[in-house]
Amino acid sequence: MIRKKGITRNIRPLEILSEEQLESIHKNTLDVLENTGIRFESDKALKLFKENDCNVDMEKKIVRFPPWLVEECLRKCPSSFIVKGRGPRSDVRFGGNMSNFLPFPGKDTIDLETWEPRTPTRKEFYDTVKIMDALDTVHYTGSYVPWFGFKNTPAVMQMLEGDAANFRNSTMPLHCNYGNDCEVFAIRMAKALGAVNLGVVAISPPLTYQEDACISAFRNIEAGFPLYIQSGPTYGATSPVTTAGATVTNNAELMGGVVLAQLIKTGTGVLVSDFGFTQNMRSGYPVFGRIESSMHQVVFNQIWRRYKIPIGNHSTGVSNSKRIDYQCGYEKTISLMLSLLSGANEIGYHGCIYGELSFHPIQLILDDDVAATIGRFLQGVEVNDDTLAIDVINQVGPIPGTYLTEEHTRKWWKNEQFIPKSSDSLTYLEWMEANKKDCIEYAKDRMEKILQTHKPEPLSDSEEKAIEEILSEAREFYRKSGKISDKEWEACKEDVNSAGYPYY
Amino acid sequence: MGGIVNMSDTISSLKESIITYNRNLAREMATKAIGEGIEPNDILAGMTETIRKIGDDFGKGELFLPDLVGAASAMSEAISVVEAEIEKSGKEIEKIGTVVLGTVKGDIHDIGKTMVKTFLVAENFRVIDLGVDISSERFIEAIEKYNPEILALSALLTTTIAEQNRIIEVLKDKGIRDKVKVIIGGAATTQEFADEIGADGYEATAARAPRLCKTLLGKE
Repeated sequence: MIRKKGITRNIRPLEILSEEQLESIHKNTLDVLENTGIRFESDKALKLFKENDCNVDMEKKIVRFPPWLVEECLRKCPSSFIVKGRGPRSDVRFGGNMSNFLPFPGKDTIDLETWEPRTPTRKEFYDTVKIMDALDTVHYTGSYVPWFGFKNTPAVMQMLEGDAANFRNSTMPLHCNYGNDCEVFAIRMAKALGAVNLGVVAISPPLTYQEDACISAFRNIEAGFPLYIQSGPTYGATSPVTTAGATVTNNAELMGGVVLAQLIKTGTGVLVSDFGFTQNMRSGYPVFGRIESSMHQVVFNQIWRRYKIPIGNHSTGVSNSKRIDYQCGYEKTISLMLSLLSGANEIGYHGCIYGELSFHPIQLILDDDVAATIGRFLQGVEVNDDTLAIDVINQVGPIPGTYLTEEHTRKWWKNEQFIPKSSDSLTYLEWMEANKKDCIEYAKDRMEKILQTHKPEPLSDSEEKAIEEILSEAREFYRKSGKISDKEWEACKEDVNSAGYPYY
Repeated sequence: MGGIVNMSDTISSLKESIITYNRNLAREMATKAIGEGIEPNDILAGMTETIRKIGDDFGKGELFLPDLVGAASAMSEAISVVEAEIEKSGKEIEKIGTVVLGTVKGDIHDIGKTMVKTFLVAENFRVIDLGVDISSERFIEAIEKYNPEILALSALLTTTIAEQNRIIEVLKDKGIRDKVKVIIGGAATTQEFADEIGADGYEATAARAPRLCKTLLGKE
């Protein structure tokens, strides 16, 4: 098993706020937390806040926070922490100047001829996890990755079936979602494999934590797992339309979660994730890939780096295009560049096309090149006696001297140059002889090669048995509780009993 | 027996010097091989085998230009030692043919020409590389001195390809046009241009130069 290494930023981060602006956002965020407060729809959470000097309105479920408590809890969050997949070299550290990537999920796959969405099959799901496992720039995975689910899976089981596929076909750690008590089974799966999940808690903006999000926080922290708290407003709808105002509500929401995490257990690792979007002021739908999300994230990254808490950016991975095309490429790349330059530690990026609605393995492979290209930029410029090459410059001199034959060139060129794996690097002549292939066709070739050659580390027999038992128990649990319909149950049984299950 | 082992050890080291692009070691091992009495043509054959493998790996995308050129550069060092020895002994060098190669006057582009040289050497051609910015007079001198079957003219620029035409005209004026086959190449050249100026051959990539030369010599 080869350890996957995150991208290291060796250059100064991009900052667009002045110290004065930063302080103003911070102070006003504390004011919102103290005066407006956050709604927590969980009696267990409300009770905990009340016991710890917060002003709690039990009836309206509003918690108002003393500024000192918020600042104390921000200080108590570790500046970095580790999650773990299965196996000895599967750990991923979030924090510092490292950036780690998670594929960005989509509900459906797409047909590359018609560009229309459709539900993926179980085989497509498992194959795509295998591809993710093979790519150097995909560092961890998670619930609903790569797709929300696959054919013949009951809706309530989609997250767990996906988690199982990720555990089976990759060794990477998972960020695990919640809902309908799924997190109970997800935690058990991780424990059976010795993994440490990143437990997801999603905020419902503006300023609200629903009950299942609070329960997820308690359950994951009690399991010893760090939290991934995410706020995803639509500017002008669920947050103020201005970047400054949206940053205040976003940060207030996340700080409420930080306080909850530290009150449940001091020292719990927290990753705060930004997931905001522009609103289409004609349709009311979020519109993806717009520059406002990046402005928001650059500001967000600057502020949370000051708090020394690991930062996630999730507005980066999406486009509003329905195709793998120029719009998709520029929207995703611009936002990724800005996120990485401004110091995001965790980024949802690879594979997604339109919003959270479509994902394709070809896009996943193309995004591997984009992530690695920007990663190369972040390595920065090495300046030392060897890279300055004064001796070689002196030796080669003017024309007809050439550096091509120099040992220095052979030693350094691969370090200096990043070669994308799926881009067209040919001359016109070579291109015509190669049937005018484009990057999508190169990515297809790479996909085929990975599927033929990459063998994910298999689960041991006992691990496989444990995962299947947990899935089986969950299916029975949801069937008995009426959350799986008769029709879903028949399809599910057919799937589970078919030849080749679960891998194909 | 010991002699044979040493012989092969020296040839192995010579091959290794090409693979590791070590010019000094290449020269040293070629000198040592001659000192050990190894047949010069056998030394050349050993090197040709190595550079052909490097050319193949380059063609497959496993090696890159700095590797190819580095290997060629190391090999050139050794070749000069071995050829001097052959010349001294009055023996013939066993080659498919001799190619005089250079980039034309006014053009200082070296890389494509060096690649052509590497591929030709790998296919057992004797290559006289005159360098870059070469005048028609120097090409004529080289033809008289080395008596090559092929004259290979490289030009990258649209402003310098006319010089390829001019050299052909000079060959005609001197009455030696029929002595050599003229091939042209370089980014700005095309088959149409080659036909227009009356060149004997054209290829768009360096890797195809050996095939073109063999065809022209009727050796394929």
